[in-house]
Amino acid sequence: MSAATLLHVEDLVLHYRTRQGTVRAVDGVSFDVRRGEALVVLGESGCGKSSLAKALMRLLPRNVARTGGRVRLGDLDATALSDERFRREVQWTRLALVMQASMNALNPVVRVGEQVAEPLRVQRRWSRRRALARAAEVFELVGVATDFLARYPFELSGGMRQRAVLAMALVAEPELVILDEPTSALDVLTQASIMNALKRIKRELGTSFILITHDVATSSELADRVALMYAGQLVEVADAGRFFAAPAHPYSQMLMASVPRLHQRARPEAIPGQPPSLFEPPAGCRYAERCPYRFARCAEHPPAFALGERHRARCWLHADDGEAGGAP
Amino acid sequence: MSRKSGASAIQRPARRGRLRDLRRLLAYTLKRLLALFVTVLVGVYLTIVIANMGGQVDELRRVQIRSEAAEAVRADPAFQDMPAEERNALIERQVALEVERLRLDEPFAVRSVDYLQQAMRLDLGRAEQMHSDRGSRAVYDIIVERLPATLLLFGTANLLVFFTSVFVALWLSRRYGSALDRSVVALAPTSAAPGWFYGIFLILVFAFVTPLLPPGGMVAVPPPEASWEYAASVARHMLLPVAAMFLSQIFISIYSWRTFFLIHSSEDYVEMARAKGLPSHTIERRYILRPTLSPIVTSFLLMLIGLWSGAIILEQVFNWPGLGSLLFRAIGYRDTPVIIGAVVIFAYLLAATVFVLDILYALLDPRVRLEGGPS
Repeated sequence: MSAATLLHVEDLVLHYRTRQGTVRAVDGVSFDVRRGEALVVLGESGCGKSSLAKALMRLLPRNVARTGGRVRLGDLDATALSDERFRREVQWTRLALVMQASMNALNPVVRVGEQVAEPLRVQRRWSRRRALARAAEVFELVGVATDFLARYPFELSGGMRQRAVLAMALVAEPELVILDEPTSALDVLTQASIMNALKRIKRELGTSFILITHDVATSSELADRVALMYAGQLVEVADAGRFFAAPAHPYSQMLMASVPRLHQRARPEAIPGQPPSLFEPPAGCRYAERCPYRFARCAEHPPAFALGERHRARCWLHADDGEAGGAP
Repeated sequence: MSRKSGASAIQRPARRGRLRDLRRLLAYTLKRLLALFVTVLVGVYLTIVIANMGGQVDELRRVQIRSEAAEAVRADPAFQDMPAEERNALIERQVALEVERLRLDEPFAVRSVDYLQQAMRLDLGRAEQMHSDRGSRAVYDIIVERLPATLLLFGTANLLVFFTSVFVALWLSRRYGSALDRSVVALAPTSAAPGWFYGIFLILVFAFVTPLLPPGGMVAVPPPEASWEYAASVARHMLLPVAAMFLSQIFISIYSWRTFFLIHSSEDYVEMARAKGLPSHTIERRYILRPTLSPIVTSFLLMLIGLWSGAIILEQVFNWPGLGSLLFRAIGYRDTPVIIGAVVIFAYLLAATVFVLDILYALLDPRVRLEGGPS
C-alpha cells in the first residue's frame, strides 16, 4: 500500500439472506483508490455495485448473512472500528455517500439548508450560523443559488435536489465521496452539468471519488481508474485510458463494443445471455457462460492476473502474460 | 465568499421565506374555516331531518299528545261528572294548545330551519321524556351531567393506549423480526374482541372469584365524604374497565404503529440520515417522527373526539354513568332533542378538531402550507 493510497479495500464480502437463499451481492472485492483519484465502478444492474457502496459505508440492511474483508482509510483500519466509532469518526466526515434515487434523499419537512448543514452541527457541534455559512459555500461550489437554502425539497427540481445532495456530501470536506448512480435519473443536460461540477470539485478540492454507474460514456469523463464488476466480483481493474482503449477481460471488451460511438461505423453489439444468479454463482469463471473465448480451464475459478502496474484481470486467457496477483 | 457574508446571505431569504409562509397560512386558514362552517351546517340539518324522520315523528307526537291529554282529563276527579261531549271538547282544546305550543301546526320544513338556527346557536332546548339525575329537563344539563364520567374513563384508557403503543411501536420497529416483535404480531388478533368482552372476564375473575375490585359503578355507595377518598374510590372503580379497554386495543395498536414506523424508516431520506452518521435518536426524532407527525397527530385528535360518544355496551357491562348509555336510552325513547343535541355538540367538536388539524398540518408539513398558494 503506497503512501498515496487513500482507500484500500481487500476481499470485501456482503451476502444477504433471503427466502430463496443467500445472495452473494459482494463476493471478494479488492481495490485501491489514491488521493485525488476518481474510480469508476462499472457494471450491469444487479451485479452488486450498490451493495458495494453500502458495505463501504456500513449501511447494512437487516437481512445481512455475512460481511467480511478489510477496509483501510488512510492510516485508519476502518474494519477494526466499532459501529459507534465508525459513525463518529468516518461516516460523512471522511467518507460520504450520494445515494441512488437521491430524488427522495432529502427530508420533506426540513429546509434544504438545515439538512446540508446538519452533519456539521451534529458531528462537529458547529453553531447554526457557522454551519449554514458553510452550507452556502458548498451550494456555490455545486452551482446552486444560496436562495435555495431556505427552500423545502419539494420546491426544488430534480437536478437541484441532486446538487443539494451532492453539496450535503461535500459539506464536511470528506476525503472520499461515493456516488451511487448520481445522474441516472436526470436528463442529459443536467447530467453533463453535474459531471462538470464533479470534475471541477475534484480538480479544486482534490477530493477522491468512487463513481458507481452503468453509464460507460458519462463516467469516462471523470474516470482516472475503472473497475468492472460482474456477478459480485471485479473482473478487471485498470487505468481509465487503458481500460477504454484496450481492455483485457473478454467482458470488458464486449462491454466496450456495446457502447455506441459517434465517429465509427461499427454497430454497437449487445452481449448475449444473462448474468448468472447471485444465489449460486458458477464454481468456475462467472462470465464463462457468455464468453466467446471459453475453454476448458474456465471451469475453474480464475484468480486476478496482474498485467502491469495497477492493472489486473480475472481471466485465464491472461494466465501466461500475467502472474496471479490475488483478487483484483 | 467569507463566512460572515455567507451567513447573512442565508438569513435574509430565510426571513423572507417565513413571511411568505405566514401569508399563505392565513389565506388557507380562512378558506378552511368557511368550508367547515358549511360542513357543520349540512351535518346538523341532516341530523334534524333524520332524527325527526323527515317530519313523521310529528304524527307520532300528535298521537302521543292526544292520548296524554285524554289520560289527564280522564284521571282528573274534577272532570268526572262532565258530559262526554264537553270532556272531548276540553281534550281537543288542550291538544290544540299543546300543538300550538310545539308549533306542530306549521309545516316541518319551516320548523326544521328554526331548529337548525337554534341548534347552531347551541340552544339545545328541552327533552321530551328524559331528565337529568338532578331533575333538569334541559338537554344541555342532561348531556353535561354525563360528560365528566365518560371523559374520565375513556380519556384515561385511550391516552394510555395511544402513548404506550406509539412509543413501544417505535422501539419495536428497530427490532423488526425479534421474538418480541413476532409475539406482538401474533397477539394482534386478540383485539378482534371488544373491550366489554374482556370486561366480562375481568369482572368474573377480579370481582367475583377473587373479590378484589368492585364489579361496576363509578364510586362506592354511599359516596365517601373526603375528596381524596372519593378520588380513590373512583380510581378503584376505573381499574377494571380501563384494563378491559387497554387489553382489547393495545396489541393491534402497537402492531399498526409498528408497521407504520417500519414503512417510514425505509424511506430514502432515513437511509441518507444513517449514512450521514447521525445518532439513532436524532434519526428517530427528526427523520421518522417529524415527517410522520401529521398522521400521528390526526389519529391522536380523532381518538380524543371519539371519547365523546363513549361506548354503549362497555358502559352497560360496568354500569358506568356515561354518554354511551344516555344516547342509547334517548334513541329508545325517540327523544329527538337529546339525540340532536348530542349530535350537534359532536359536530362542533369534530369541526373544531378538523380545523385544529388543518392548521397543524400546515404548521407541520410545508407541502400543505406552500403548495398552490399565492407566492
